[in-house]
Amino acid sequence: MHALNDAWAAVNAFMASGGPVLLLIAGLTFFMWTLIFERFFYFKGGLKSDVQGAVDTWEARPERKSWGAHQIRYALISRVSEKIDSNLDMIQTCVALAPLFGLLGTVWGMINVFEVLAITGGGDAKQMASGVSMAAIPTMAGMVTALSGVFANTYITRTAQRETQLLEDHLTMDH
Amino acid sequence: MKSSIAKSVLAVAAAGLFSVSAVAQDKASSLDQLLKMVQSSKISESAEHKKREADFRRQKANQASLLSQAENTRASEEARSAALEKKYEEQELLVQQKRQQLDERLGSLKELFGHLTSTAGDLRANLQTSLVSAQYPGRAEFLDQLIDKMNSATKLPTIQEIERLWYELQRETVESGKVVKFNTTVILPDGEQAEQEVVRVGNFNIVSDGKYLEMNDNQKLAELIRQPDGKYLSMAADLQAATSGFTPFGVDPTGPSGGSYLKAMIASPSIVERWHQGGIVGYIITGVGVIAVLLAIWRLLVLSGVNAKVNSQLRSSTPNTNNPLGRVLAVAEENKGVDGETLELKMEEAVLKERPAIESGLNLLKIIAMVAPLLGLLGTVTGMIITFQAITIFGAGDPKAMAGGISSALVTTVLGLCVAIPTVLLHTIVNGRAKRILHILDEQSAGIVAENAERK
Repeated sequence: MHALNDAWAAVNAFMASGGPVLLLIAGLTFFMWTLIFERFFYFKGGLKSDVQGAVDTWEARPERKSWGAHQIRYALISRVSEKIDSNLDMIQTCVALAPLFGLLGTVWGMINVFEVLAITGGGDAKQMASGVSMAAIPTMAGMVTALSGVFANTYITRTAQRETQLLEDHLTMDH
Repeated sequence: MKSSIAKSVLAVAAAGLFSVSAVAQDKASSLDQLLKMVQSSKISESAEHKKREADFRRQKANQASLLSQAENTRASEEARSAALEKKYEEQELLVQQKRQQLDERLGSLKELFGHLTSTAGDLRANLQTSLVSAQYPGRAEFLDQLIDKMNSATKLPTIQEIERLWYELQRETVESGKVVKFNTTVILPDGEQAEQEVVRVGNFNIVSDGKYLEMNDNQKLAELIRQPDGKYLSMAADLQAATSGFTPFGVDPTGPSGGSYLKAMIASPSIVERWHQGGIVGYIITGVGVIAVLLAIWRLLVLSGVNAKVNSQLRSSTPNTNNPLGRVLAVAEENKGVDGETLELKMEEAVLKERPAIESGLNLLKIIAMVAPLLGLLGTVTGMIITFQAITIFGAGDPKAMAGGISSALVTTVLGLCVAIPTVLLHTIVNGRAKRILHILDEQSAGIVAENAERK
């Protein structure tokens, strides 16, 4: 319990020194990883039954040769790939936004630094330190979020491509 | 000829010097009139000269008696001066003796009075700015009297006065460590005066009704025109409402020396003022951002409607022309019996027709998301140019002016990012909707046609 309190205090101190933009970055990170985990669990769970359903529908057909059959195969693949690809765009956007949020924090902190300068005339570096940390911490946080997102995003995109490819391979045609 | 001119000049000059006759005061309205005026003044001049000559002759007789009178006066005055000088010398000696006597009698007290004077002077300066003076007015007058007394060479302070000085010092020290409520007149921002209960926190801050007050030069309390942030004001209100225990409160540590921190904090611009600092570029960015948000919301509503109709179309077997998928299926319906290749081409054509309506506005959103940070950069750079121009003119001697300019220049960058980030998010959402519909049209419409044909 004591250790938990200490950790909570450390998080609070970090959030306070990062300023308001850090909260936005925290929200973005939470949102992005929620989507990533949702995809992850879908690939591990719900995907299999979707693929199986498509394969069963395809295998149950009397013939797999005509123009109509080909079109139906496309439609089957398309319906499953729609499910596979959902939220991928949003994850990519979040990865792209994280550094932008960091930049926003940087500029916000710099404005604070210059404001302190405008009031005190820059005689005291200590008074500018809060602005500097407000500029540096969100930048770092944005970068960390983007980096973590890039790896997760690469993994999920490749998984999605592979699963779609596998589905196409499963729906065999009789020439 | 010459002498007559000289005479007339003299006459005119004399007219200016001696009698400003009524004629001369009037402005000449024509040259002829001027001529007349000059002539008449000449006549009056000569009359005056005659009068003065007569006066002089009369005076001449008196001159001799006046001279002897003046000589008598001088002699008596010289005698008086000599007597006075002698008396002065005698008295100076006496004064010196008395001074010596005074110094001997004062002895160590002299040093004490010196300390008293300097202490009283310091205390007077402190009380001038101390917020305690709002609660106990009239302390400065006593000190003024005391200091005047000390500085005059003829009076000495009484024991009571010296003790009162000590008491005032002690009272200032004790009071500056207290949080007190008391009633006094407060000047409100509209110039009205009102009797209010105020709370004094040591000699750091005075608050009343959740507002910070300042003390002006004649110890009158006035509500600050600009107040600090709301959280500090609510703390101040809580402090006034509290009767015991501890209450968090925003104290200005520089309060006793004039409260420069509070002033600086109040002077720092609010969010709206910051927005105005962005200037023209800032307003343009804001306008573009508003357009982007409205466009995104409109497209989102339209595409949601289309999406719902497409979903209901997927569930029904008859093509309905109120939605893109229905129209594509209707093309297939019309071309029953043609071979697959031709049908595919015809349907692709129909899908191509649907595309622009679904994708409209998406490119604009993307462009706004890309352009907004660039606009922000533009504003920042122009702001920097203005700042550096100011440095070229005034020099970089004052970092405050420079820093203020840079801080307002950076506002546009913040604005650009604040517009770009939501626009990117909205673009992703709207694009997702559009892509889903197009996905169905492109890849599933032919399959749907085939499925419908098989069912029959």
